[in-house]
Amino acid sequence: MAKIIGLPKLSPTMDEGVLARWAKKVGDDVAVDDILAEVETDKATMEFRSFDRGVVLALLAAEGESLKPDAPVLVIGQRGEDVSALVAKAKGGAVAAAPVAPAADSSAVASAAVSSGVAASAALSAAAAPAIATPADEAPASGRVMASPVVRKLAREHELDLRAVRGSGPHGRIVKRDVDVLVSAGGASVGGTSVAPPQGFAAISGGVRPAPRIEKLSQMRKTIARRLTESKQTVPHFYLTIDLDAEPLLAARAQLVLALEKQKEKVSVNDLLIKACATALRLVPECNASFMGDAIHYHQRVDVSVAVAVAEGLVTPVVRDADRKGVLEIAREVRELAARARDKKLRPEEMMDGTFSLSNLGMYDIESFGAVINPPEGAILAVGAVRDEAIVRDGVVVPGKRMRVTLSCDHRVVDGAVGARWLQALRGVVERPVTMLL
Amino acid sequence: MREIRYREAVREALAEELARDPRVFVMGEEVGYYNGAYKVTEGLLARFGPQRVVDTPIAEAGFAGIGVGAAMVGLRPVIEFMTWNFSAVAFDQILNNAAKLYQMSGGQYKVPVVFRGPNGAARQVAAQHSHSMDPFYVNIPGLYVVAPGTPRDAKGLLKTAIRDDSPVVFLEGETLYGVKGEVPEVDADECIPLGKARVAREGTDVTIVAWGRPLHTALDAARVLEESGVSCEVVDPRTLRPLDHETIVASVKKTNRCVVVHEHWEHGGTGAQIVDVVQREAFDWLDAPVLRVHNQDVPMPYAVNLENVVLPTVERVVAAVERVTYKR
Repeated sequence: MAKIIGLPKLSPTMDEGVLARWAKKVGDDVAVDDILAEVETDKATMEFRSFDRGVVLALLAAEGESLKPDAPVLVIGQRGEDVSALVAKAKGGAVAAAPVAPAADSSAVASAAVSSGVAASAALSAAAAPAIATPADEAPASGRVMASPVVRKLAREHELDLRAVRGSGPHGRIVKRDVDVLVSAGGASVGGTSVAPPQGFAAISGGVRPAPRIEKLSQMRKTIARRLTESKQTVPHFYLTIDLDAEPLLAARAQLVLALEKQKEKVSVNDLLIKACATALRLVPECNASFMGDAIHYHQRVDVSVAVAVAEGLVTPVVRDADRKGVLEIAREVRELAARARDKKLRPEEMMDGTFSLSNLGMYDIESFGAVINPPEGAILAVGAVRDEAIVRDGVVVPGKRMRVTLSCDHRVVDGAVGARWLQALRGVVERPVTMLL
Repeated sequence: MREIRYREAVREALAEELARDPRVFVMGEEVGYYNGAYKVTEGLLARFGPQRVVDTPIAEAGFAGIGVGAAMVGLRPVIEFMTWNFSAVAFDQILNNAAKLYQMSGGQYKVPVVFRGPNGAARQVAAQHSHSMDPFYVNIPGLYVVAPGTPRDAKGLLKTAIRDDSPVVFLEGETLYGVKGEVPEVDADECIPLGKARVAREGTDVTIVAWGRPLHTALDAARVLEESGVSCEVVDPRTLRPLDHETIVASVKKTNRCVVVHEHWEHGGTGAQIVDVVQREAFDWLDAPVLRVHNQDVPMPYAVNLENVVLPTVERVVAAVERVTYKR
């Protein structure tokens, strides 16, 4: 029996898809899991694969056409079946103008009669032995994705598109082992085909260079790409670098760690730097500002965005009112935000509306670097590693601890002299941490 | 730790509680002069005398009723059924008196009685003597139902049961009485709380829930499955009423799969109750339907080859685990 195939929902949030390219034409054989078409969804171009086998009898949508989920897109059935009635039904009762099966009319009628006879006898045998009716290893024709509850939970959490996954359980049920590899690959709408590793060695021995491993962009990757391109292309960056004496800050931290030992709490150099930045922003509020088109907004709050590396990229949770919080409170908050960032549990509002950013690559032994501004914030501080260095103090060479920091400024908001004053203020705080108490 | 048999563990619990509390007495068929049908009460008459260890005629309804009455007026009777099959004769005393009087007297009467004896198939004692009676008793609010699978649990749970102010149905096993296991020293006075499950074996791929004799079947199956790389966690609820949801559900959330093994029939009972709890409280963690391995739905045959078909076996547990882990 021929049937109309509707456009599946190819991503959890898809409410419209553009039929980018047909992979089959009328008359082509279709096997289960064959690619029928490529469809652009809100997230990516997805493969639309067949749950049915048969022959393509009609295409009901043109390339480039925008379609709602479940919109009729093609008819699949037995070769030679007359589908004009189905096509008319699909077109909402309109006269079938779409392409019809290429077979001549007379043979179509004849084979339709034959196939209906076959169907009748199949129905009889099905009634006699119902167990034969559903082959155990095939997905049911309903189009419903069969997946165990834990797979559905993982799909929700990792944004997996289960339609792209082949189930290995009974009746094609998708079970946990079928998605384990997708989950460990980071999830996010990963289709069934894109995670397969390239056949590298075979290709090399055949004299062909191996193809790259193609990974579709995750939502996070897309956001990073969009925002940073926008920042570098539209925000006039300039950079100011100073070298700080890190010894007082390290000494302060050592004292705090000792004091907090019994409470089993810790503060890091980074936590102290958040506090130091917040203090410096209070002293030089011109750096706590955003360029907003026809005005500059000088913020009356100090909300420090902290760059946190996660598996897929980076996020910037915000420590609100860092100037009014103690270092321990900041430390706890950063720890909690970072943990949830790694678990992808941060809410969008927790990453929005910072007024200044801090990015620290010291733990990777980076000496210094220039960070990209996180718009609409006016500046970002990039922190390098603490270095052991010989320094001259009172005319004597002694061992010292140094740390290089670079302020990236949006020149529309912060001029060179202002940025320099802010760094002076920062130096004052970092090299005399006790002033954070003020 | 020393190892003793299940039978000796039950006896120690009785002896320690008889010695500790003068209100405790033991009553039942052949508990005294014959030293117990399964030698659980051996030596207790000689040590505590006929006031504390009381032989009865073959009259379960009568001595179960005496137990309820004695408990109502402040004693702590331990009533032995020679097997739980015979409790059917005394069912009315347990259902309508032991389980009801606290509520129906508005709390004026507590009924601190323990009914105990062997439950389940004793191998080749045929249809009328092979019942697992737990499905009947777990259905009754007002009762504790306890089914220890190891000597340590038998001793610790029986001591708690005797001290508790509520009526307790205490299910032992004829094929368990010879099982040896670690038990703390005499007079260590270990009381194991009612209503707490125990993880008998830790694993990652599937949770097998089993109690009583089938606990050992499950542990044997877990050893077989380990060789093929399937890691089984075995959870023993120990108390069937109330059931410890928390431990079972936590385990299933870890393993994503669950098989329940029990020696009662399929329809109803603790086995079905556990499946209900798991599907309700761990739905989003399940990777497969919860399966059960249980007695076939027939009266127990006498012939040993047929009995082996009816009772849960290691092979059937292995098969069920392989199904929920999609290995067959």
